Amino acid sequence: MAKSDQYLSSNIAGAIGAAELVLFNGRIYTVNEQQPWVEAVAIKHGRFVAVGSYADVQPLIGERTRVLDLNGRFAMPGLYDMHTHPDLALAPGYSGDLNIGLDDPTPEQVKQAVLDYAAANPGEGWIYGQYFVRYTFKQAGLGADREWLDSFMPDRPVAILDRSWGCMMVNSKALELAGIDADTMDPRHGYIERDSVTGVPNGILVDGAYALIHAAMPPTPQHALQRAYREGVQFQSGHGVVGTKYVHVCEHRLNALKAIDQAGELTVRVEAAISWQDDIFPVKRRWELLAGERHFYRSARLNANAVKFHFDGTHESRSSYLSSVWPGETSWRGHLNLTPEHISDMVVDMDRKGVRVIAHCTGDGASDLFLDAVAEARRRNGDSGVRHQCAHSTTLLDANLERFAQLQVTAEFSPVGWFPSSFANARTVFGEERMQRAYNFKGVLDAGGVAVMGTDWPVSSINPWIGFEAMITRENPFGSEEGSFYGNPITLEQAIRVMTINGAWCMGMEDKAGSIEVGKSADLIVLDRDLFARSAKGNIHDTQVQLTLLEGEVMWDRQGEFNNTDHAAVWQGELPNF
Amino acid sequence: MHRRESIPVTIVSGFLGAGKTTLLNRILNSDHGLRMAVMVNDFGAINIDSQLIVSQTQTTVSLANGCICCTVESDLIEQMGRLLDNRENRPEYIVIEASGVSNPVKIASTLRYPQFRNALHIDSILTVVDAAQFESLEGDMAQLAMEQLDAADIIVLNKIDQVSPQQVDALRSRWLYPNVRLLQAVECDVPLELVLGVERFKSAQTFRPVNAAAPSVKTPSVTDHSALFASWSWRSDKPLSLKALRQTLASLPADIYRAKGVCNLVEVADKRCVLHLVGSRSEIKPQDTWRGTSPYSEFIVIGTHGAIDPANLQAAFDQCVA
Repeated sequence: MAKSDQYLSSNIAGAIGAAELVLFNGRIYTVNEQQPWVEAVAIKHGRFVAVGSYADVQPLIGERTRVLDLNGRFAMPGLYDMHTHPDLALAPGYSGDLNIGLDDPTPEQVKQAVLDYAAANPGEGWIYGQYFVRYTFKQAGLGADREWLDSFMPDRPVAILDRSWGCMMVNSKALELAGIDADTMDPRHGYIERDSVTGVPNGILVDGAYALIHAAMPPTPQHALQRAYREGVQFQSGHGVVGTKYVHVCEHRLNALKAIDQAGELTVRVEAAISWQDDIFPVKRRWELLAGERHFYRSARLNANAVKFHFDGTHESRSSYLSSVWPGETSWRGHLNLTPEHISDMVVDMDRKGVRVIAHCTGDGASDLFLDAVAEARRRNGDSGVRHQCAHSTTLLDANLERFAQLQVTAEFSPVGWFPSSFANARTVFGEERMQRAYNFKGVLDAGGVAVMGTDWPVSSINPWIGFEAMITRENPFGSEEGSFYGNPITLEQAIRVMTINGAWCMGMEDKAGSIEVGKSADLIVLDRDLFARSAKGNIHDTQVQLTLLEGEVMWDRQGEFNNTDHAAVWQGELPNF
Repeated sequence: MHRRESIPVTIVSGFLGAGKTTLLNRILNSDHGLRMAVMVNDFGAINIDSQLIVSQTQTTVSLANGCICCTVESDLIEQMGRLLDNRENRPEYIVIEASGVSNPVKIASTLRYPQFRNALHIDSILTVVDAAQFESLEGDMAQLAMEQLDAADIIVLNKIDQVSPQQVDALRSRWLYPNVRLLQAVECDVPLELVLGVERFKSAQTFRPVNAAAPSVKTPSVTDHSALFASWSWRSDKPLSLKALRQTLASLPADIYRAKGVCNLVEVADKRCVLHLVGSRSEIKPQDTWRGTSPYSEFIVIGTHGAIDPANLQAAFDQCVA
C-alpha cells in the first residue's frame, strides 16, 4: 500500500506540473533498448515523468521538487526475486516456543523446563520446543517416551525435539490431538516408533513423522509471521529488490502480509502464492482463498493471485521426476506428488480464474508434464493472459526450451545450484548428461523465452546479488571453490534483464515496471559500483545498494541522503543480518 | 511373488582411531561364508587380499567369495536402494561403517523407514570406543560421543590394555548407562559371533552349551572365544506373558549379549512371535501363524561363562509363564 491516497485513474491525471523528485548526474542503465543509458530522471505520483539528460528533467524542477545529485553513481531498475520464503526461514525462531537452552539437559531439567513453560503460559495450549537428549534418558535409566511425559504433563499436548533433530518426543495428548494411533500409516521418509507387538505408538516420531504433529498444532503466531516478513522485506529493500514472490502462503500468512502492508512497511511488491498442498503447513481456507477471498488482500504492493504446488521432489531423495531413469537405476524415474491428470485439470481451472500456477519442477520429466498441462489450458481457455511459472527448472529438456516462449511460461531458476559449492555439487546426482543442461538460462533466453531468478531462501541466501553474479560467471563468487559449474553463462546485459524486466513480466506488469521509461512505475536502485566497469567475477555479489525507490518512494537509504525531507526512507541504518 | 529374505544390517560407529577399521578388517577376513556388502568410508585403510579381487571400480571392490566392499555415498537411501535392487548379487548381510564424525542414529533411522521395512532389518549397532582417549572429550565431541553411545546395542571398549581398571571405572561412571553391554577388547578382537547376527556362526555350535556335552571341535579364527562365552537354552510349552518376558529381558545380566528364539504369548495367541536381543536392545515381533503345530517357546541365550548361571536364568524365564 502506497504512503499517500493519491491514486490515479483515467480522468485524474497526475503527471502535470512539477516533479516531486529529480535524480541527475547519474550513469543510469534503463533496460530500455531505445534509450539504454540516461543521466537523469524525474518522478511524480510514483511514475517516471521524464527520462534522459538534465535538459529533459530541468523544466520539471519546481519549488518543492527534491533534487538529488547522483555524483556519477550507477543506477538501474530495481531487482525481482521471483521465489523466496522469509516466513519459513525466520518465523519458527520467533514463535516463543519452549527453549530449554542447555547443552545436555538431564531428564529432570527437561521436566522442569516443561513445567516452568506451562506455568508461564497457562491454559491448554501446546508446549512445543527444543530440545532433549535421548542419551541422558538412557543414563538415567528412563525411557524417552510418551509415558514419561504423561507422568508429569498428561493434559496438555507436549512435543519436544531431539537435540540432533533426529526425532520428536510427544505425550499421549499430542498423539490424540494429531490422531496418531496404532492404525496410523507411517509417512514415507520417517516413521512412528511403536510397540513391536501391539503397534501402539510410544511417543517417538522420526523424521517425516513430525509433520503429523505440526498439522495438529496451531498456526505460527501472527507476531512471528509479521516479524519474519517485515525483516524479510527490509533485507530485500536494502538489497535493491522491488518485486518478489513469497511462494507458499496460507490465510495466516496473508493476514500478516496485509498487516505490514497497511502499516506502510511492505516495501517490496509481493505476489503471494497460496499452497495447493498441505505438505509445509496446513491451509485451512484454501478453497475460499482461491475462489475469491484472495482479493481481500489486494493492493499495489500485495496480491495473492497465484497458487504454488510441489509437482515432484528433490535431488537429495532422488525424487525429482526425470524424463528417463535416474543414473544407476533400472526403472526409477523419481516421484510425482500429484497425477498428471490432476495437474492438467488444476492448471486449466486456475488459468480460467486468472490465478497463476507456480509449479515446483526440479526434474525434466516434471516440467515436461507441466508444460503439457499449460498447453491444455491454452487449448481449452485460449490465451488467458496468465503467465504460469515453472519453479526451480533445475534440469530442462532441450525440446522444451522453445515451449516457454510459445506457452508464455516463465522459467525460474534457483541460484544455489549454479556455481561450484557443496550444495551445487550435490546436484550432480542427476548425472553428467543432465548436468550439462542444468539451470539453462541461456537455452530459454535464446529460444525467446523469459527466465527469472528466485533465491529460494532458506535453501540459498536471500541476497540476490550472489546468484546475479554467478549467472554471468558460473563460478564461485567468494573464491572458495575453483572452477566453473555446469551450464552456459549469460552476458551482463542478459542477466540484468533476468533480474529486472523479466521479473516484471513474470508478475504480469512489464508494461508498468521493470525498466526506466516515462510512464512506468518509478522503481530504481543506486549502487556503490558500476556493474559495467569491472568484470563480474568477485565484483557483483557484494554490491551495496545505496538507494531503493519503489513507486517513487524511497524504501531504503543507506547513507541517509533523504533524511529530514518529505522523502525520508522507510528503512535505513542497519539491515538484518541473516 | 516370493518375498525375499530380510537382510540383516550391522552398523559400526565410533570416532576416528577408535578401531572401527580393525573391526571391519576382522569381519571382512573372517570365515562367515556369506555374500556380504561392507560399506566403508575409506578403502585405503581396509586390508583386501589383492588375489581375491575379481573387479574394482573407484567405489566398489568385488571379491572372489562374492563379497563386495564399497564406499559409503552421501545419499544412503539411494545407495541402499541400489544394493537391494541388485538381483544377481543381492547381499546376504550388510555392514555399514558410520563416519567418525556422524551420528549413527541417522543411519539407523533411515534404515527403519517404511520403504526398507521388508527388505532389511538392523541386526546390531556397534560403537567402538578408544578406552584411553574417551574420557577427555568435551563440547561438540562429547555430544557426538553421546549420540554414538545412544545408538549402540553393544559398546566395544577397545585398547583396554592401555588403561588402568580405575580409568575404566571413571569412564563407566561418566559415560555409560545402567545395564550397558560392554565388550572389552584389545585390537578389536571381539567374538564376531556376538556382534554379527550370522547364522553360519550359529552360537549353539560355537559356544560350549553349559547344559550339554562338550562342543564339536572348531578351529578358532583369532582367539578361542569359545572358552569365554557360553550359551544356554530354555523351552516351555506353556504360553508366556509379554510383560513378564519383557521384564526378564530387560533385567538380564549385562554379560549376556544375544538372545533369540520363538515365543508363544498369551497376548498374541494366534501368532508365533520371534525374539531378537542384541546387547541392550530387544524386540519381540509377531511373525506367522503356528500352522497347525503346537505352540511353544524356545530361547537361546549367549553370554560370558560367568553370566550364564543356569539356575538363575531358569528361574527368571520360568517366571514368564503366564
